[in-house]
Amino acid sequence: MMGGTLLIGAAVLSGLAATVLLFANYLRREERYLDAVTPLIGTTAGLLSLALAYLTYQFVTTDYANAYVWNNTANYISLFYRITGVYAGNQGSILLWAALTAVVAFWAVAVRGLERRETRLVQGITMGVVTYFAAMLVLDSPFKPISSEFPEMDPGFVPIDGTGLNPLLIDPYMAIHPPIMFIAYALLTMPFAIAVTHFISTVRGEDGLFEEWIGSVTRWLRIAWLFLTAAITLGSLWSYRVLGWGGIWAWDPVEVAVLIPWLFLTATLHAVMNYRSRSTYATLAPAMTGATLALIVYATAIVRSGVFRSVHSFADGGIGAALLVLLAITSILGIGLPLGYWLLREPETASETAADTSQSQQWVSRVNLKHLAVLSIGLLGFVSVWGLTFPVLNASVTGVEVEVGGQYYNLWSYPIVLGVLLVLGFYMDYDVEGRRRALISLGIFSLLTVLAALIAPSETWTLSNVDGSDALLYRLVGNASALSILPPAAYVCLTVIKRTLEFVPGNPNRNFQLKQVGITMIHVAFALLVVTVTFSYLFTAQSSLVVADADREATIEGSAVHEVPDSNYAVQVSDYRSYQRPEEPNVENMALSSEQIVSRGQEIHETRQPVYGTATQINTGPNATVIQLDNSGIWIGAMNASQTELGISEGDQVVGVGTVMWDFLPNMPQSDGVVVTEAANVGPVSNPPTALDQTRVEGTAVGLTVYQNGEQIARGNAGQEQYRQQGGMEVRDVLVDRGLTHDTYVIAAVDDGTVSLTVKQIPLMTVMRLSVGALLLGMLLVIVFDPAHGLARLWPQVTRQQTTAETTSD
Amino acid sequence: MSPRKVFTITIFIAAIGIGYYSMNAAPVLSDDSHTYHGDTEWRTDIDDAQQLAAEQEKPLLIYFWTTWCTYCEDYNANAYSDPAVLEQLDEFVLLAVNLEDNSQQAGALQQQYSANYPPQHVAVTPDGEVLVEINGYAETDAFQGYLDEALEEWERQ
Repeated sequence: MMGGTLLIGAAVLSGLAATVLLFANYLRREERYLDAVTPLIGTTAGLLSLALAYLTYQFVTTDYANAYVWNNTANYISLFYRITGVYAGNQGSILLWAALTAVVAFWAVAVRGLERRETRLVQGITMGVVTYFAAMLVLDSPFKPISSEFPEMDPGFVPIDGTGLNPLLIDPYMAIHPPIMFIAYALLTMPFAIAVTHFISTVRGEDGLFEEWIGSVTRWLRIAWLFLTAAITLGSLWSYRVLGWGGIWAWDPVEVAVLIPWLFLTATLHAVMNYRSRSTYATLAPAMTGATLALIVYATAIVRSGVFRSVHSFADGGIGAALLVLLAITSILGIGLPLGYWLLREPETASETAADTSQSQQWVSRVNLKHLAVLSIGLLGFVSVWGLTFPVLNASVTGVEVEVGGQYYNLWSYPIVLGVLLVLGFYMDYDVEGRRRALISLGIFSLLTVLAALIAPSETWTLSNVDGSDALLYRLVGNASALSILPPAAYVCLTVIKRTLEFVPGNPNRNFQLKQVGITMIHVAFALLVVTVTFSYLFTAQSSLVVADADREATIEGSAVHEVPDSNYAVQVSDYRSYQRPEEPNVENMALSSEQIVSRGQEIHETRQPVYGTATQINTGPNATVIQLDNSGIWIGAMNASQTELGISEGDQVVGVGTVMWDFLPNMPQSDGVVVTEAANVGPVSNPPTALDQTRVEGTAVGLTVYQNGEQIARGNAGQEQYRQQGGMEVRDVLVDRGLTHDTYVIAAVDDGTVSLTVKQIPLMTVMRLSVGALLLGMLLVIVFDPAHGLARLWPQVTRQQTTAETTSD
Repeated sequence: MSPRKVFTITIFIAAIGIGYYSMNAAPVLSDDSHTYHGDTEWRTDIDDAQQLAAEQEKPLLIYFWTTWCTYCEDYNANAYSDPAVLEQLDEFVLLAVNLEDNSQQAGALQQQYSANYPPQHVAVTPDGEVLVEINGYAETDAFQGYLDEALEEWERQ
């Protein structure tokens, strides 16, 4: 058990050594022991990965001598979800984060080397972060022995079964969501380190390294964006499938927390694209790059510290304080340092080139438009940051709790998103059509947006249910029609596609073409996503139905088809069943064999244990019946019971639950220990006593056939599962039929033969899924084929393209 | 001043405006002893509510909710601002339990009535005996039906 903590401890030492050497070599401008650094970083990455692998191994083999394993898995959980248990809690997920960051650091040092002085500082900062995480894990280890949970037990005590995994996490989407998210977080450590180094070196009067490293920064940020987007998507799909109530997005604090870095990263990407060393974004682009990690730590602290409780807070307490310290450090380095530099040291007037100056003095210019876009996306991020922050501020200052729900986020974000779309459309148009015509079309589409906001065919079309008591602005936006999203979205799609058709076909550079296609896909997908998310939420129709005798109907061939009122759906109950897990409880998983009792010996003296074996001898006395197991020294002793009462004869497989007593019958030399119990707790293995009942999950489900307009569209199960050993927590199993135009979503509450069904029709989900696909694929194209910073450039043997000086990047 | 500076300052002012305005416009959710939903006022102290129900010989309506629950917003918008519903609710002592409340008492109540998802309503007698359960969101008509049912059940006892 100590092995795991030792691995992490060793990782702290090697990480610390690497960090110290790197900092010393940077500060003293020397190369002392520099050769040792790469192996040290490799060792740290190796040790942390090994610790992670070891923890995974303990989960797979259900080694309950580890308290963390015991807390996050159980015997009945399948192999796949045993692995996901590794990052179900704080310590495991920090270990995953640390290991991934160390691997990223090792990759960077292996590719880039340490010849440059600044590289040492960049690596030093990254390794500092890794070492900090590792040190957190030494203090609060995922390898704590089980005795920390059961201090009253003997040191060798190991439980037979674990407590289980949060049932909400037993889902394929949730299994891959955390690793992908942590990959994104780990990747973002590099740009953070680069940005901080940039400012440190600038403040020290040396050249910053942003100009030279812009390609590297761009690649790290883009790849991180790709993973972060994928992670959010997977999280949304999970919430859609598992929670049954919230849909894909419910502005839960944790959802907001992950949106914040995403929005900010999106803004940062646009700022970095616009970075010019001597003028535009000379300070802001690196500053935003540095701030992203601080926001991630902020988001993580929110999820993990327990400040906000939500369905999502799977683990709280413990590691919160350490994260708050990390938040302080990353904020000082990533936000404070750039801010200080900007306020105190930045040259008064940046020496802009003549062309730049004349461009930036014009109100409508590419540079200024991008600036507006960066600011607007930033403002969108602010809405989310503020929504999370001010209720806490307010409650701690005044003691009055205020409500910040979906309405706050929706109503503030909506006009900003409209603005972002209009600016985006205008930018794309301006690029092709020039200023005059673009201004005219912007005017037309803005007017259309305002007009569309006034047309609400029915109440469903208005954005929110606001009433007279709400604040004026909320009423204004809340009463606007969702139609207003269509003109800006159409504007974006039209202008983006037009621009692509204008620039791409004639261009000789294949990579440039592919990148532009990627850019187009991302922006069109974003516009579609905004429309579909808005519409799918507003136009979700739902109706309910109660089937009273579902259990009886299920047995009838061709049973009644029930029309669902106020909808074009009908359902038929074709199956009704209750089940439990584990389905066929195996006594060996729940009870100790006589051999195991012997080998555990004194450590389980006077503890209550289940035991099983073959009855080899049965002695009935006046006060008890004792049963010898497997010809061993272990006996089951049933007090005040006769053999007939127990119904067991020699040769039977028998199981009993009782208190293990060593040397209980001193005058019976063939007895080492007796499991002392009552008749009710002893029985044959084929019919184990109720004391051994280890049912973990009780489920009720109905098989449903769903019809729409008389046609069968889906068959499947819906119902709920109750997790007995997790406070009776209940999880719904929903039936989702994914259709081209809409999803049909059936939630069932099954109880005592009655089924209450809620049938929801959620429109445009397929468009939404395709949009997300296009978003990810588009970014992949950009990452690979960008002529300036793409990965394809790094593989000259694959595609040898001349780098064209770009006049029209995004 | 360069256009970019103007944009930046404008956005900053917008952010401060959003911050200030939203903080003041945010509906008060709870103060020392009540939580507000639509036009209704619910007690938050479990003991007080139970005691009051016993004193006034009224049934208790327990509302399990959370801040992020969209159906709870629907309740606020539809049911809890409907005068007819408000009139019916007068027959009950109202008690709202935030499912995110991690106090022992709230936990016990959640477990007692197996309330795992918001929104859920349970009408109970002062002794805690269940009159009617409403799991999930009910349209206002159905919601009123449930409340009537609870009151009838209460009369019968």
